[in-house]
Amino acid sequence: MIEFFHVSKSYHGRPALQDVSFTIEKGEFVFLTGSSGAGKTTLLRLIFCADAPDEGQILVNGRNLLHLKKSAVPLLRRTMGFVFQDFRLLPKKTVFENVALALKVGGVPEGVLRVKTTETLGALGLAHKVNALPLTLSAGEQQRVCLARAIVNDPQVLLADEPTGNLDAELSGEILDLMKAVNARGTTVLLATHNRDLWRRVRRRVVRLEQGRVVEDGCPEV
Amino acid sequence: MSRSVTRFRYLLGEAANNIKANRTTTVLAVATTTFTMLGMGVFLLLYLNAQEALGSLKEEIKVVVYLRDSASSREIAQLRSELSRDPAVAAVEFVSREQALATFRTQFPSEERLLNGLGDNPFPASLVVKVGPAHRSSEQVGTLVQKLKALAEVDEVLYSQDWIDNLAVAVRYLRVLGMGIGVVLAASMVTILANTIKLTLYARREEIEILKLIGATTGFIKMPFVLEGALLGGAGAACSLVLLRGLFGLAESKLALKGTFWGVGRGLAFLPDRVTVAFLLLGVMLGCLGSLVSLIQFRDARS
Repeated sequence: MIEFFHVSKSYHGRPALQDVSFTIEKGEFVFLTGSSGAGKTTLLRLIFCADAPDEGQILVNGRNLLHLKKSAVPLLRRTMGFVFQDFRLLPKKTVFENVALALKVGGVPEGVLRVKTTETLGALGLAHKVNALPLTLSAGEQQRVCLARAIVNDPQVLLADEPTGNLDAELSGEILDLMKAVNARGTTVLLATHNRDLWRRVRRRVVRLEQGRVVEDGCPEV
Repeated sequence: MSRSVTRFRYLLGEAANNIKANRTTTVLAVATTTFTMLGMGVFLLLYLNAQEALGSLKEEIKVVVYLRDSASSREIAQLRSELSRDPAVAAVEFVSREQALATFRTQFPSEERLLNGLGDNPFPASLVVKVGPAHRSSEQVGTLVQKLKALAEVDEVLYSQDWIDNLAVAVRYLRVLGMGIGVVLAASMVTILANTIKLTLYARREEIEILKLIGATTGFIKMPFVLEGALLGGAGAACSLVLLRGLFGLAESKLALKGTFWGVGRGLAFLPDRVTVAFLLLGVMLGCLGSLVSLIQFRDARS
């Protein structure tokens, strides 16, 4: 599903990733851990083509990202969902509009869009908030809206960058449970976090980065 | 079809949201665009009317051949017959001395005293020669005039070619000047609209990033801004046309330009319908161009 072959990336001469290689199979739930600056965000950015590697190859769904045309990047991103620490919701659009936007960019017809958006928001317990603006919601609710937007178009991969960074332990657990549910439906999940408590709660594969290198890859003992 | 309609409605809605979100800037941009396009419209109106007047004058190129008093009726009839056969001549009309005097008396009744002082009828008989459509160039009319001057029965030849040529030159200069000023005004309009759209772009830069992340194509992201530019340009062009029509009406009534355009042609005319539509389209196109300029600058600034 996601394959890294000796990938390196540096910014202004400072290495962010060095000779990184790993494979994530379809349907896996993987934690990407490491301290701040370890290279987690860089790795995610390479997967969704926000940046290109200096060296090495990356394959997503068998497609080599190095040979991906610029015009094909939006299509690749539509097969992925993104969840961010800072939610990145559009403040002037309602919860419904924020979630529906992920379908709108793909040109999904209005009728299908309404059904799918309503279903997804209902599944995440946000049915009563459809007309609310993001800034009127709690942090946990905003993150659930962000998750709804990420999964509304049934992505093959869910990429999450510190999704619980702004949430307390209880809300973090709630978001983690929702991600596990998404994974149970067959979506591959790659969750970047520096929060040890999060990956200690569930027995899943952990890829640990330090100074841009993979220093650990496996399922730790809980 | 349904997908395209849904998408277009969304993109148009986004363009309208951009406009609503920046009301003051939008009003200023439309006002500036209006006055810029009004300048272009004034030149266009002047040029088209001058061109029309020139066309009318060219259609009426006449050569007046004044005959010597000594010319006999037979000689005049022969000359008239010869001229009628000339391929450069479309028509020949004989004006007798009496007809000329009568015409003068009708047109200038207040100058009757002047005629009394001159004694007998001072007007010569004349032939009014209408030049054929295919022989109206300066050279061709000049050749005809030289030929007429050489005739023994002819005293003097007068024709309007000189000032028609001068008007043609003036129209050419007006066109060049108009185009020059048009280009400057169009460039300033594009700059103004580009800066307006740039403000919207910077205000929505985070939204643009999010749209990119969730798989929006470049066209999907850019289209609302292009539509915004088109709407602003179109609105400016429409407002300028309304103002231009008002100014035109005012000029017609205050300067008494109805009837003829300083004595020639069919009078002043407003922009024809097809030119009005083209003018509106020009506003829309310049608006789109302004948006594209700002999108390119925005892309370059962020890359």
